[in-house]
Amino acid sequence: MTSAGGWFDRFVDGLPDTAVFKFLSAKVLVPFWAWRTPTPPLPGGPRPSVQPSENVQRMMNLVMPLKDTSAIGRAKATLAIAQNVDEIFAGLDNVGTVHFARFVLIGDYLCMISVYDGDFSNYIRDFIATIGSVFDQVVKLVEGGEAITPSANHIEAFIDWVHAHDLFQAPDLPTDLFTLQDAARGTARASARDGLRLLPRDLILQLHANPNVSLGGGYRGYPGFSAAQVRQKLGVGW
Amino acid sequence: MDDPGIAAKLVEALDASFPDGRQDLRPVHTFGIGATGFFEASDVARDYSIAEHFQGQQIRIVARFSNGSGSGVQHDGWSDVRGLAIRFQLANGAAADLIAMTLNEFFTPTVETFLKFSPATIPIAAERESAWLKIFDMLRLMLPMDDPYPGQKTEAVTGALKFADKHSYAQLPVFQAGALGAPVSYARATYHAVHTFVVVGPDGLRRPVRFTWQPVSGVLTTDRTSPPSDKYLQQELCDRLAKGPARFILMMTIGEIGDDFDDPSRPWPPHRVRVVMGTLTLDAVPDDQVANGELLSFNPWRLVPGIEPSDDPILRARRDAYEYSRNRRKAPPGCPFSRS
Repeated sequence: MTSAGGWFDRFVDGLPDTAVFKFLSAKVLVPFWAWRTPTPPLPGGPRPSVQPSENVQRMMNLVMPLKDTSAIGRAKATLAIAQNVDEIFAGLDNVGTVHFARFVLIGDYLCMISVYDGDFSNYIRDFIATIGSVFDQVVKLVEGGEAITPSANHIEAFIDWVHAHDLFQAPDLPTDLFTLQDAARGTARASARDGLRLLPRDLILQLHANPNVSLGGGYRGYPGFSAAQVRQKLGVGW
Repeated sequence: MDDPGIAAKLVEALDASFPDGRQDLRPVHTFGIGATGFFEASDVARDYSIAEHFQGQQIRIVARFSNGSGSGVQHDGWSDVRGLAIRFQLANGAAADLIAMTLNEFFTPTVETFLKFSPATIPIAAERESAWLKIFDMLRLMLPMDDPYPGQKTEAVTGALKFADKHSYAQLPVFQAGALGAPVSYARATYHAVHTFVVVGPDGLRRPVRFTWQPVSGVLTTDRTSPPSDKYLQQELCDRLAKGPARFILMMTIGEIGDDFDDPSRPWPPHRVRVVMGTLTLDAVPDDQVANGELLSFNPWRLVPGIEPSDDPILRARRDAYEYSRNRRKAPPGCPFSRS
């Protein structure tokens, strides 16, 4: 609690929580600043890095909008996964670089959340090779899915499609957002071009352009180790 | 750090940042409380360092918790960096220190940049941002400035923000310092040693590492909407330890090629290999706080074989700056260069 001001100060302090200001923000301020400061959605997935621990336990948050968002459409997506559990599990074992993977239905979206080691493109290539048929069934239920199936015949397009549906991962260090957005805008950054107090606006504009994001790279219980290293240490093979 | 004049400049720069500080006390982290307990290394710690306190036997320790401010007036409830300095009391009178704070990075990467940063944060009169300016901020999708605390006469945030807007290396620490708040207890904060050290294993392998103390009881800050209390942290620690011990886990993060080993203003990403090095147990607050707190002189260079300083220029400068500060306030010596 800070020093008390007059009634007008208290009114202004509470302004952001008022319905009027929330309406004004959503309908006027954010669209205005998005127009004034064009902010492209930042690309999804982990960012390239040559450092070893950045190349293991990488996060994939694949968010796919369902064509049919009714309970029946969602049931079809559920069945597409449930009827292929053996194929998915065998395929993931064969990929060999996956720590965990799961499908979840959130609202109108089918999501695949996984943690894997190594390069993103090779991860998806391995997927196509090992469980491409399952992915084909799933992707057909998703908006824009027809254009990339069968995946075996559209490998590069499939990889691009997955990348486009993988969530942007917000940087672990908050001020790194400036650097990422400057790079996306193609603007030079000789120094701290954006005032530090503008960090909230940069975040708001990114969330305006990119409604779903992963908040940071996530926690790891045993960071820096690959699935193969963990399995070998535990004595459970490969 | 070979220029003894730099040590004086650093301490004087801190003095200038806290005009109401006292020269018979520490220039920063002025108010604090000592505690005692022991450290027990984990089973794996000895695989990474031959340092005596990482071999597994119980090591007696002395700790000092502190508020980061160098002001002569105590304000526990204000947002501020907090410190935790630990002295590992080793065999034959030897000792090793580990000094950490709640901010995950230092404000600047070098001594020279710190000597520019410090004058920029000399306090100015604290004024509440006008309601109209706040509305203007909101219309620009900016957070309004925090209001001063009741009774707060000066503030350094404005200067720090201006500096950070011109020097990108200061953006992260200034931003994160503004979000620190006040812990409900010294035992409920995470403390980062920020500098890179080099640990030497039994096989001679040298690893660049950074240390963090994580509270077993979890991190918790006070409610910012409630009135801040000026004095509660020391009594809370006394009350807490009277009921039972407080514990911290010592985590060691191993750096990789490509990390900023010598830049304390840049934290390493959270995906590096982390090793549990041991558990700190605090079980008492000594009655004699002068001997067990105020007269203790910690130094990040008080190290033992098995843990060495990196080339981090701020770490190197702290060696002499701590000694200069100790001499000035006439605290007993604990020479960091004799490694004793």
